[in-house]
Amino acid sequence: MAHQHVEHLDPYSPQSGTMIPGGLVKFMRTCVLWQIIRFLVINLRMTKLILKSHH
Amino acid sequence: MARVVVMGGGVSGHTAATFLRDWLSADHEVVVVTPNSKWNWIPSNIWVGVGRMKKEDVVFDLDPVYKKANIDYRQAKALTIHPEGSKESDTPFITIEYTGQGKEGEKEELTYDYLINATGPKLNFAATEGLGPHGGHTVSVCTADHAVHANEELHKVIAKLKAGEKQTLVIGTGHGMCTCQGAAFEYIFNIDHELRAAGVRDKAEVIWLTNESFLGDFGMGGMHVKRGGYIASSKIFAESLFAEHDMEWILGTHVTKVEEGKIHYETLDGDTDFQEFDFAMLIPPFGGVGLKAYDKEGADITDKVFAPNGFMKVDADYSGKPYEEWKASDWPRTLQNPDYKNMFAVGIAFAPPHLMSKPMKNPNGTPINPTPPRTGMPSAMMGKAVAQSIRDMINGAKEPTHTASMSEMGAACVASAGAGFFSGKAVSMTVYPVVPDYEKYPGVGRDLSYTTGEIGLAGHWIKHFLHYAFMWKAQLKPGWKIIPE
Ligand SMILES: Cc1cc2nc3c(=O)[nH]c(=O)nc-3n(C[C@H](O)[C@H](O)[C@H](O)COP(=O)(O)OP(=O)(O)OC[C@H]3O[C@@H](n4cnc5c(N)ncnc54)[C@H](O)[C@@H]3O)c2cc1C
Repeated sequence: MAHQHVEHLDPYSPQSGTMIPGGLVKFMRTCVLWQIIRFLVINLRMTKLILKSHH
Repeated sequence: MARVVVMGGGVSGHTAATFLRDWLSADHEVVVVTPNSKWNWIPSNIWVGVGRMKKEDVVFDLDPVYKKANIDYRQAKALTIHPEGSKESDTPFITIEYTGQGKEGEKEELTYDYLINATGPKLNFAATEGLGPHGGHTVSVCTADHAVHANEELHKVIAKLKAGEKQTLVIGTGHGMCTCQGAAFEYIFNIDHELRAAGVRDKAEVIWLTNESFLGDFGMGGMHVKRGGYIASSKIFAESLFAEHDMEWILGTHVTKVEEGKIHYETLDGDTDFQEFDFAMLIPPFGGVGLKAYDKEGADITDKVFAPNGFMKVDADYSGKPYEEWKASDWPRTLQNPDYKNMFAVGIAFAPPHLMSKPMKNPNGTPINPTPPRTGMPSAMMGKAVAQSIRDMINGAKEPTHTASMSEMGAACVASAGAGFFSGKAVSMTVYPVVPDYEKYPGVGRDLSYTTGEIGLAGHWIKHFLHYAFMWKAQLKPGWKIIPE
């Protein structure tokens, strides 16, 4: 069965030698509820980094 | 009474000047010498370059802000530094040439007790024949005006695509020694996003042409992050992102010449080739802005004060040792000039001791490797640390009291991959430390609990929020000091 996420790849091209995200990964990137959680997580990470950098 | 002169009112200089003015009592002077009348939040130029923002959204007038803050603003460019003064006086000074305030072309001497060089990069389009928007064949997003022009050209291409014509768009670096791949990365993904939104992506060939030896190098030797139980290189994620978006990549290139519709380049293998294009945005190489330095007798000491690339020497190890011997401690900490202790350089203006990525040459002897990036957060942190040191030195400290080494600090960076409140995406990265430290973190050079990356809508929200936060902070609006650098 054809897989829409990889249909654009040319076999043996550099592009075909890497990983391509599937539907779930792509969906989660713009899933508002999940991204609200990620928003909080990334902000926390960045705060941690800023605190570590200002010594 | 002391006078601190800040050359350059960009990200790092504006940070240094505004904090110094806030901390020093009114009997001390803070002077900013900068040639533009407007301050520009450069990261948002990407959105101007695809028409998502207007120039007015990313700039503001400096004059009222500096008036309100009681900072002496000279709309001028610095020309020369005289750190020993002249035959007549021991007081150090710089010479400036006005570019505005009704004094265009007038020259003046400006004495200082402390000098901060925050002049950023010279956009050296001239290094590659035919590069850049001023008489060349490529566009740029490095200034707000460049980005306005890039957007106009991009929309001509979109119109042709809509009319059914095939178009080739090439984005990347215009010389073997470029840095700032991040900006080009943002631009290519924003273009892809806009082409898809316009329903014409299938008619366009989108190509990444870069001096990086591998995708995801970004001038910092790449980075590793923990993901799905693996520790994976940025190479894998970058390749995945380009492949997912149906983009080709051409690696390890030194662009030698750009003609109408044709980019000529050498590769790391030593081959020469060309790429045809209808639209190209290639980042120029950066150099120092061409300041000269003179001693008391008027003899030229530019070589003593500046590295050959025009960036100012600070407390770094410039011995030129080979890659195998590089250490994190080669990177400057106080950003103080070793010969003139009242002179500092911050942001892009300081001379890095060496690259961060592994140096590479092709068989013809052409160096092809990204030069070290100095992004917004480290630049502003350097500005603030030097301001703290100068404040303390004015108040009696003998030596700089604060440090901001890129091998001891992290950087958070959000790289836009398309704008839109529900459809936008950005890569949110944190890297610690910025300069890989293979002694402390063998194998990957970085602390994996602080080095992270992910793509998603949340990143776009953060990038959008940061735009307003930094425009607010730079205009010294209420609460500006609590917004981190
Ligand atoms: C398109 C683009 C996108 C970017 N996106 C990001 C991003 O998303 N995140 C990030 O962290 N970083 C980003 N950066 C990098 C960021 O803009 C730089 O790190 C930052 O601007 C460096 O600060 P600086 O103060 O050293 O230089 P600048 O901000 O460039 O400031 C230098 C100032 O000096 C002035 N000057 C020049 N010559 C003279 C002279 N002779 N005398 C006096 N003044 C002079 C200039 O006019 C300018 O105002 C981006 C860069 C570009 C080009």
